[in-house]
Amino acid sequence: MSAKPSQLTWLARLASRCWGRVLLFALMIPTLFVLVAASMVWQRLRDDRPVVYESIEEHFKYGSTGGERESGFPYWIFQALPQVCEKHLSGKGYASLGLMFEEGKDLPVGMSKRSYQGIDRTFLNCAACHTSTVRDAANATPRMYLGMPANTFNIMAFQKFFFACGKDPNFSKDFIVPEVGRLMKLQGRKLGVMDRYLVFPLAVWLMRERLLMLAGRFDWANTQHEWGPGRVDTFNAAKVLFNFPMHKLPEKELNGPGDFPSIWNQGPRTGMQLHWDGNNTMVEERNKSAAFGTGTTPPTLDRNGIGRIEDWLLTHDAPKFPYPVNSEKAQRGAPLYKEYCAACHGAGARDFSGEFVGKVTPWEQIRTDRRRLDTYTYDLAVNQATLYAGYDWRFRSFRKTFGYANAPLDGIWLRAPYLHNGSVPTLRDLLEPSAKRTKIFYRGYDVYDPAHLGFKHDVPEEGAKHYFKYDVSVAGNSNAGHEGKRYGTDLSAQDKAALLEYLKTF
Amino acid sequence: MRCLIQAPLTLPLTPLAPPALEDPFMSLTVASQSKRRKLHLWIAIVVALAALGAWFGWYKFFREEPQPDWIIKDPEMRFKYGSIGAERDAGIPYWIFYILPRMFPDKLPGPGGLASLGVSWEQGQELPIGFTKKVVGFPRVANNCAACHTTNYRTSADSNPIFVNAGPGHTLNLEAFFRFLVDCAKDPRFNADNMMHEINLVTDLSFIDRMIYRFLLIPITKKRLTEREGQFAWIYRKDFPEWGRGRDDAMNLTKYFMIEAPMDNSFGPSDIPSIWNLKKYDAPGTTMNWAGDSHDSYSVVIDSALGLLGAPPKSNDEFLDSVKWLHAYLKQNTPPKYPFPIDEGKANAGKIVFDSICASCHTSDKTGKRMPLASVATDAERIDTWSKENAIAANKVVSGFGIQRKGLVEAPLEGYNPPFLDGLWLRAPYLHNGSVPTLRDMLEPAAKRAKVFYRGFDLYDPTNVGFVFQGADAQRVGTEFDTSARANSNHGHEFGTALPQRDKDALIEYLKTL
Repeated sequence: MSAKPSQLTWLARLASRCWGRVLLFALMIPTLFVLVAASMVWQRLRDDRPVVYESIEEHFKYGSTGGERESGFPYWIFQALPQVCEKHLSGKGYASLGLMFEEGKDLPVGMSKRSYQGIDRTFLNCAACHTSTVRDAANATPRMYLGMPANTFNIMAFQKFFFACGKDPNFSKDFIVPEVGRLMKLQGRKLGVMDRYLVFPLAVWLMRERLLMLAGRFDWANTQHEWGPGRVDTFNAAKVLFNFPMHKLPEKELNGPGDFPSIWNQGPRTGMQLHWDGNNTMVEERNKSAAFGTGTTPPTLDRNGIGRIEDWLLTHDAPKFPYPVNSEKAQRGAPLYKEYCAACHGAGARDFSGEFVGKVTPWEQIRTDRRRLDTYTYDLAVNQATLYAGYDWRFRSFRKTFGYANAPLDGIWLRAPYLHNGSVPTLRDLLEPSAKRTKIFYRGYDVYDPAHLGFKHDVPEEGAKHYFKYDVSVAGNSNAGHEGKRYGTDLSAQDKAALLEYLKTF
Repeated sequence: MRCLIQAPLTLPLTPLAPPALEDPFMSLTVASQSKRRKLHLWIAIVVALAALGAWFGWYKFFREEPQPDWIIKDPEMRFKYGSIGAERDAGIPYWIFYILPRMFPDKLPGPGGLASLGVSWEQGQELPIGFTKKVVGFPRVANNCAACHTTNYRTSADSNPIFVNAGPGHTLNLEAFFRFLVDCAKDPRFNADNMMHEINLVTDLSFIDRMIYRFLLIPITKKRLTEREGQFAWIYRKDFPEWGRGRDDAMNLTKYFMIEAPMDNSFGPSDIPSIWNLKKYDAPGTTMNWAGDSHDSYSVVIDSALGLLGAPPKSNDEFLDSVKWLHAYLKQNTPPKYPFPIDEGKANAGKIVFDSICASCHTSDKTGKRMPLASVATDAERIDTWSKENAIAANKVVSGFGIQRKGLVEAPLEGYNPPFLDGLWLRAPYLHNGSVPTLRDMLEPAAKRAKVFYRGFDLYDPTNVGFVFQGADAQRVGTEFDTSARANSNHGHEFGTALPQRDKDALIEYLKTL
């Protein structure tokens, strides 16, 4: 002994005795156990890994904007719901909402996956609203085009499905957990004891609470006319973000859905008045604003993930028209385009120069349906300036306007139906005065009509699928405006045909 | 019995034995030295910790960061967003202020968040005009003069508002704003769990700041705001009408907040005035405010600013510096020109009418001076909200802070001062209580003036000279003004009401030029 026992620490004293050593050893086991368990829980809570895709196209289709962190559905619950809430879907699975699945993928295009706090979660990304398909004929294989308006995706139905499901008595652990187990078994996996009795029941409960809360906030959508596929009431949804009491809004601010836009060639659009009403001139803000729709919040936005997409969209080009073009006829259309369209829509297919391009034309001149314009209010604009407060990229550029912005026409063939509210099914129809335009048509079908430039719109159903009946007499759906001599609706049929042919080259 | 577990390493658990010392005396000295050294070490640690704690407390709660250059270097911006020092005592922690409209939309007058209060809010700005953000330990939000004294108007339905510094804030629903803060604080949802959830949705605070918000700022803010309720009791009285947009019960605010007078039964909301071109009050003998209750513009700026601070200034020098800057800014500031065409010939004819019936009060040595009520006979309630005793008490409070000013007039109020008419077109509605919506209405006898109308809508009406006061939009945005309600009478000042229509038109045309 080098020191008297009294000089030793209590620990050393304890360890110097046999029973003490036994006691210490016995205590060490539960202590270690607690430490290991705590570190496991900590690791699980810290867990934050999106599924990463090397290829930018795959990233666009399936990569994360960060929305799963705050808004994500637990992946397995998401997969179980089409079965659990079958009766709230019009057809089989999420495809019935107009989402599309690629061969061998477990999630539709436009949904990403991230492991967050120990649970795989999934939510929408940009591609959900900005990717769609084209078929040459009913029996042809669909071709997918990234960045085009999601002509088939019905986001209102998507929303309503989850809210209805959340309210359904089937939305309980008793129905969901066994379905999750079944789905996992199909993949040769097993639902662990922890997951079966703790994690998933808790996740089901949390998701239900959240859906019910959101359902309350989005209740306003139930009072609105159907948007149908390919459209969304963007800025009334933005008011929900601020928790505006929607039932107190004046009627003229409501029912103003707009078509999903194409999002290619963003670089040359720099500085233009973006959105249908041209309410923002900053691409970055417009993107972050749209990212709220993918469930992100300022602290949870995945800036790298979205940054990759932003960079790519700067130069991602609109796809070429895949059908034959009569070049002689198109050449006859070129001067007509120059005379009637170029000042507002750009000198050429990729030349966006022009006096009024990317600028707002006052409503008194354009006179298309006013509702989308009126959904965006000064009060909303100033509230948006509070978004991202505390960050260097706080929103500063939202402005109330009083008309609709003139957009370049790159890839215009894929951007049917036309006008901001998608009220005119084909470009050919847009060259008619509104009295002669189609009054009732079907949206959401993806078989293309190269003669008229647009999707076939007289097909109410195909197999089990029903398409959306669009009625221009419904509030927000008017097909008026963008007509008269200046807009080419007075041209001869021959000239219209030539102009149409020329627009195929865009 | 052999022990099952052998101590693997006893050595590290044993403190190193000190080397054996031959001299016991020496060892004693060393021991006491080492004891003293230990004591010094402890003292040093305690001092260091205390200093660190003090620095931490100062940094997190009291350090002041200047506002950014775009505010303090530009006079127009400084007027709109510059701090007058109100953040220290009256400031609300930024993130609490941020989430209140989102958490409690039910306590606002309508949809639109803070915008529903009729604040002047420029696009692209994170706070409305008159709301200042400054770091005092942490970012806080308070108000400055511009909250009430900036106005806005639109020249057509499809146009954005134009803001005018120092104009009367005719859209601001100040009473609703006061109530909003108190009502939020009283609500059981105003608690740390709910609020931290909302805050975490919008920003990424550090762990320490989260703790500070959770355990200090949220409960303290709740307490401070709830405490105001007693002083605000009269704005909750059901038997008093709403102030409505563009008005405040200014003298009662002074009474119940600055001199903490007991609550009485008086009620006299009046129009928020324009405060441009203050140098006109330099004329000898003029007094300020509707009823001539203050001696000079410098005193008014001081008293109003003190009202916003809600406490004695931290430093009188600093406070008076910002008052002097404001005073100088407002002295040279001029009202904007009428933004619609004016018929010059008609206006010239109107000048003659003006000179014959208006000038004797509004551009004479009577202007801006006290005048007995009987000669105008407008609503008297505003006068009854203030007294000589109140003025004496308020002056005592301010001089008690060590601030020198001429101050409030220590005499009973007797009527309303005939006001200067600069920028008149933008000062609708008219009369001290804002009971007459347009100039055209002012030229009608009281019996023919609008009886119920909506005020606080910002669309300008060049025909009647004032703001649009009827119709669906005015009704939705504005607040109802009922001239039969208490303190709202539109009687009196029935001058020029018998003029022929032609003369009235000409006079109105001339008034647009002021």
